[in-house]
Amino acid sequence: MRVAIAEDSVLLREGVAQLLTDADIEVTARCGTADELLARVAQDPPDAVVVDIRLPPTHTDEGMRAALTIREKYPDVGVLVLSQYVEVGLAMRLLADSAEGVGYLLKDRVSEVKEFIAALRRVADGGSALDPTIVSTMLKRHRSSDPLDSLTPREREVLELMATGASNAGIAESMVITQRAAEKYVSTIFTKLGIPATGSESRRVLAVLLFLRS
Amino acid sequence: MAAVVPLSPERHRAAPKPAMLWTLGIVAIASCLVTAGLAALNEELYQPALRVLLVWWVTLPYIFAGIVAWRRRPDSLFGPLMILAGFTMQLTILQWTNQPFLNTVGQLCDLLVAAVLLHMFLAYPSGRLTGRIERAVVITGYVAAVGLQVVILMLGGFSESHLLTVIKDQAAAEVVQNVQLVTLSTLALISVGLLWRRWRALPRWQRRRPAQIVIDCFSLTLVMLATLLLAGAFQLPGFEIIRLATFAVAGFAPLAFVAGLLDARLAKAGVGELLVQLRASPAPDLRELLAQALRDPTLSLIYWLPQYGSWADEDGNPATLPEPASDRRATLVEQDGEPMAALVYDATLGEEPELVEAVTAAAAIALENGRLEAELRARLQELHGSRSRVVEAEQNERRRLERNLHDGAQQRLVALALELGVLAEQTDSDPATQIRLKRARSELAESLNELRDLARGLHPAVVSGHGLAVALESLAAATPFEVELSTAGLPRLPEHLEVAAYYVVSESLTNVAKHAQARKVTVDVGVSDNMLIVEVVDDGVGGADSERGSGLRGLADRVEALNGSLRIWSPAGRGPAGKGTRVRAELPCG
Repeated sequence: MRVAIAEDSVLLREGVAQLLTDADIEVTARCGTADELLARVAQDPPDAVVVDIRLPPTHTDEGMRAALTIREKYPDVGVLVLSQYVEVGLAMRLLADSAEGVGYLLKDRVSEVKEFIAALRRVADGGSALDPTIVSTMLKRHRSSDPLDSLTPREREVLELMATGASNAGIAESMVITQRAAEKYVSTIFTKLGIPATGSESRRVLAVLLFLRS
Repeated sequence: MAAVVPLSPERHRAAPKPAMLWTLGIVAIASCLVTAGLAALNEELYQPALRVLLVWWVTLPYIFAGIVAWRRRPDSLFGPLMILAGFTMQLTILQWTNQPFLNTVGQLCDLLVAAVLLHMFLAYPSGRLTGRIERAVVITGYVAAVGLQVVILMLGGFSESHLLTVIKDQAAAEVVQNVQLVTLSTLALISVGLLWRRWRALPRWQRRRPAQIVIDCFSLTLVMLATLLLAGAFQLPGFEIIRLATFAVAGFAPLAFVAGLLDARLAKAGVGELLVQLRASPAPDLRELLAQALRDPTLSLIYWLPQYGSWADEDGNPATLPEPASDRRATLVEQDGEPMAALVYDATLGEEPELVEAVTAAAAIALENGRLEAELRARLQELHGSRSRVVEAEQNERRRLERNLHDGAQQRLVALALELGVLAEQTDSDPATQIRLKRARSELAESLNELRDLARGLHPAVVSGHGLAVALESLAAATPFEVELSTAGLPRLPEHLEVAAYYVVSESLTNVAKHAQARKVTVDVGVSDNMLIVEVVDDGVGGADSERGSGLRGLADRVEALNGSLRIWSPAGRGPAGKGTRVRAELPCG
């Protein structure tokens, strides 16, 4: 797998690059600005980019805009956005109408090396990776006559994993159950919430998010 | 006690001495008696009684109106000009005598009257000729009236009684006289045009009645004069009747002028009414009243603020006195030798100084109140400015701190977490070390969370970075109750506005969560008529109070510092009495 990195903190940029190299991932570009990233992606499109949401010169939304540009211009390049804060509003903007090949994680997640690499691979393969805090924040909301109330604690756990972009296999592994059991949970949740069952894992991420937001 | 000091850019002239004015009046009356005597002695004079009456009619009004005008408007040369016109007319009757020298003077002055009248009318009301054309007309008039008259007399024109005859050439004299009469007649008609043009150039509110009557009288006199001169040149029939009518009309011009002066007097009588109006309750708009009393809608009031050492308008904004060369004049109101206020008005009002002074003196107490109010407003503005600066400085500082944390400590700690993560992957050390490593990592994760909350509390970076709509969506999503958020069509706005609006919503939602026991909250944010309007409505128990809660008070400060307003409706109690809480902030964003 080939990955380009855009992060203005040298310490962190080199740390992530080292992390990826150690996991046998080729780092094609180490960029300090959004413009540099866009230029390098145009020259040599990688399988995925890891981009900090705040980049020079204004440190406001340069990284975000670069991420959206890459999503639009290079649909085959996975985009993993890292940020010190995760915002539901930004997640909705980043996903817009598709959760395919996109990830949005809290920066701290890089320290969970295995999970981070897995998330990056998922994004590069066209899957999704959403920070668990996003869905847990949304689940905290109490709504009157909430269909979520009908979910069992186990089912809620599955829902949260599903919303982060985990596959059925991933869910099974996390919860220490069989893959069949995980599939069963997923279909029960869809029925209870009235969400039409969708094939791909990234589609169901979006479906869950839209359901939670409504 | 307040003193009124007109601030006139013109050089002040000393008022004429009363003795001189009395002398002029007595001389005028005496010369009228002389006129009657000369008429009685001259046996050739046609209709002597009527001629005498006509001369009195055209001279006395000019001289006495001139005396009144000079006394009341010492700065204007118009009074002396009128007196001059009157005496010039008196001098013309010297041609009724056969005494050679006096007769010569009388002959010379015969048409000088026409030139002086042109001069006087065109110099209305300041007594000065303003335009280049006006000056040219008047100079040409004097040359034609006196210069050509000398030539005619040297050619032996008119009677035999004068001293100037050099050769006798009656035909040549007649030609020159015709040129002279036609020239003066043309100048009179041009002057009518000039007067009309000047009248049209005035703004509508300045075309007041007295001035209009004066201009009409002057114009009519000039037209009659032109007709008379042409009738003389072409020996038209009915010359005597035209002369009679011209004299009759000419006498009205100074009367109209005096009527104008009296009108200012009458307006002054309106000061009593002003005093009554000033006592009305509630306090009336002082500027409006003074503008009415002075009949100048452009009038403005400025106040001297000693603490600031500057002039300020009624709203406390800095102001200045008019420049001397401008078309504005000012009258100062002083108190204990210090300036207090000034009335700034159109320069034409300078023609009615008594009125301005009377009105200003009447309004002195109200002006003192007005000054206090202006001072208060200036202080409020200053206060508002300093509050804005404090809020802005605080916001800048918070943003700077957040940025420092984000780029500094947070990045370093994440990098450290990464190091520890990698280390945990690679180390095959003993279980005790593994456990300690794990504990260190979870401590670090906790520190990062706390730091994140701290930085986020300092400044909502998502607002600056991605706008209010995105930030509010995150806020709504993180709220434990149902929030119906509407930000449709919301454009990006200046950061300080977006941040203020963000705080209004976040603080309101925090209050709802703490106190309202609400089931549902609606948040509406939109721009309408250059106002950013933020409304947060819940269906809870109400009873919120911006004076009690420091959160809402701080919010009001923040909003007011941006010239906005924050209002809270929060009737206590559920059911019919309580309808939850509504917080509405309006921030100017145009």
